[in-house]
Amino acid sequence: MQTGDATSPALAEILDGFARDLPAPGGGTAAGIVAALAAALVTKAAHASSESWTEAAGVLAQASLLRDRCVRLADADARAFAAALSALDGKDEALVDRLDQAAEVPLQIADAAADVAALAAVAAECCEGAFRADAATAAVFAEAAARAAARLVEVNLTVTGGDPRLHRAQRFVADAAASAARALDAGR
Amino acid sequence: MRPRRPRGLSTQAADSCFDQDVTQDSELVARCLKDDPAAWEELVARYSRYVYAIVVQAYRFSDHDAEDAFQDVFLRVYDRLGSLRDPEAFRPWIAQLTRRVCLDRLSHAGREEPAEVVEPPQVEAALDELDEAFDIHEALATLPGNCREILDRFFTRDESYRTIGDALELPAGTIASRISRCLVKLRDELEGRSGPILESGGQRER
Repeated sequence: MQTGDATSPALAEILDGFARDLPAPGGGTAAGIVAALAAALVTKAAHASSESWTEAAGVLAQASLLRDRCVRLADADARAFAAALSALDGKDEALVDRLDQAAEVPLQIADAAADVAALAAVAAECCEGAFRADAATAAVFAEAAARAAARLVEVNLTVTGGDPRLHRAQRFVADAAASAARALDAGR
Repeated sequence: MRPRRPRGLSTQAADSCFDQDVTQDSELVARCLKDDPAAWEELVARYSRYVYAIVVQAYRFSDHDAEDAFQDVFLRVYDRLGSLRDPEAFRPWIAQLTRRVCLDRLSHAGREEPAEVVEPPQVEAALDELDEAFDIHEALATLPGNCREILDRFFTRDESYRTIGDALELPAGTIASRISRCLVKLRDELEGRSGPILESGGQRER
């Protein structure tokens, strides 16, 4: 995508997919995509800093892996959510398992998003000056993705107050928030 | 004096990312030629996966044919190790030997008389990839244990920073930097072996 391609057909199609009056793709998939986008911004910052920052290549390698992980999870969320809805409609006997998976995937998205935020914070502190705002933006996006995914864990029917998954989701959000704050401070 | 035939040739290589022993190939070869059974076992274990990968990935042999080719390769290694002129060049030597075994099998496949065969087009690219993977594996073995573990957890086992931090009792917020520093060490080790690594695309200057 080049500068000025913000309304490219591919992007419009993706946005249309989310705008349709259908349950999936929904918030979980969107959270995964946002986290993947954040990872891509970290990749940009690291790539641009390869001459000046010794650890840039290492950050780039991590960002690439995290981006792939978030994309896989975004796909998985759409499938898990669709399977859960099917189970709720009474078409699938494995209701509890389906609902469980519908909570597990957003939990993994929150975990991955927290990682992206942490990596973005490192980039915001060390990358080339011209790209520090991009890295800070990445951290903020990743925090948002973590919060959104954690919310989806909370609202899943199988997750009750004492469920350890709630605690884990809240920890991921706290990690991501701390990283985003660190990244924003670095940019000042 | 001929070295004793090693026992139990197997396609199952030691599956560890944490090999502590970084004995050079030249030393292993010297010990094999002195009829050291442990050295033979180590040599086979070290190169089993490499040989099998050449046979399966580069020449696309079936599992059954790959097993036969694998056995052939190491029998030839046993018979011809004494002819290796430069023990430090063991890896390219066994690669060439493996290619010869594969081509010989292809030329005899289902025929009464051997036929001339052209090496399949994917072989060179596959061998380059395998060599690179082997270089990385060898370089990893030289890193400190904490680096090997953290790289294995993140890149191979796909664990998150929080999971790694909890397992290693380290703050999750420090894991990313630790991984980066370990990757710098890995790159330094690889560049020490074969020259600078180009940034984009991961292709190494040779």
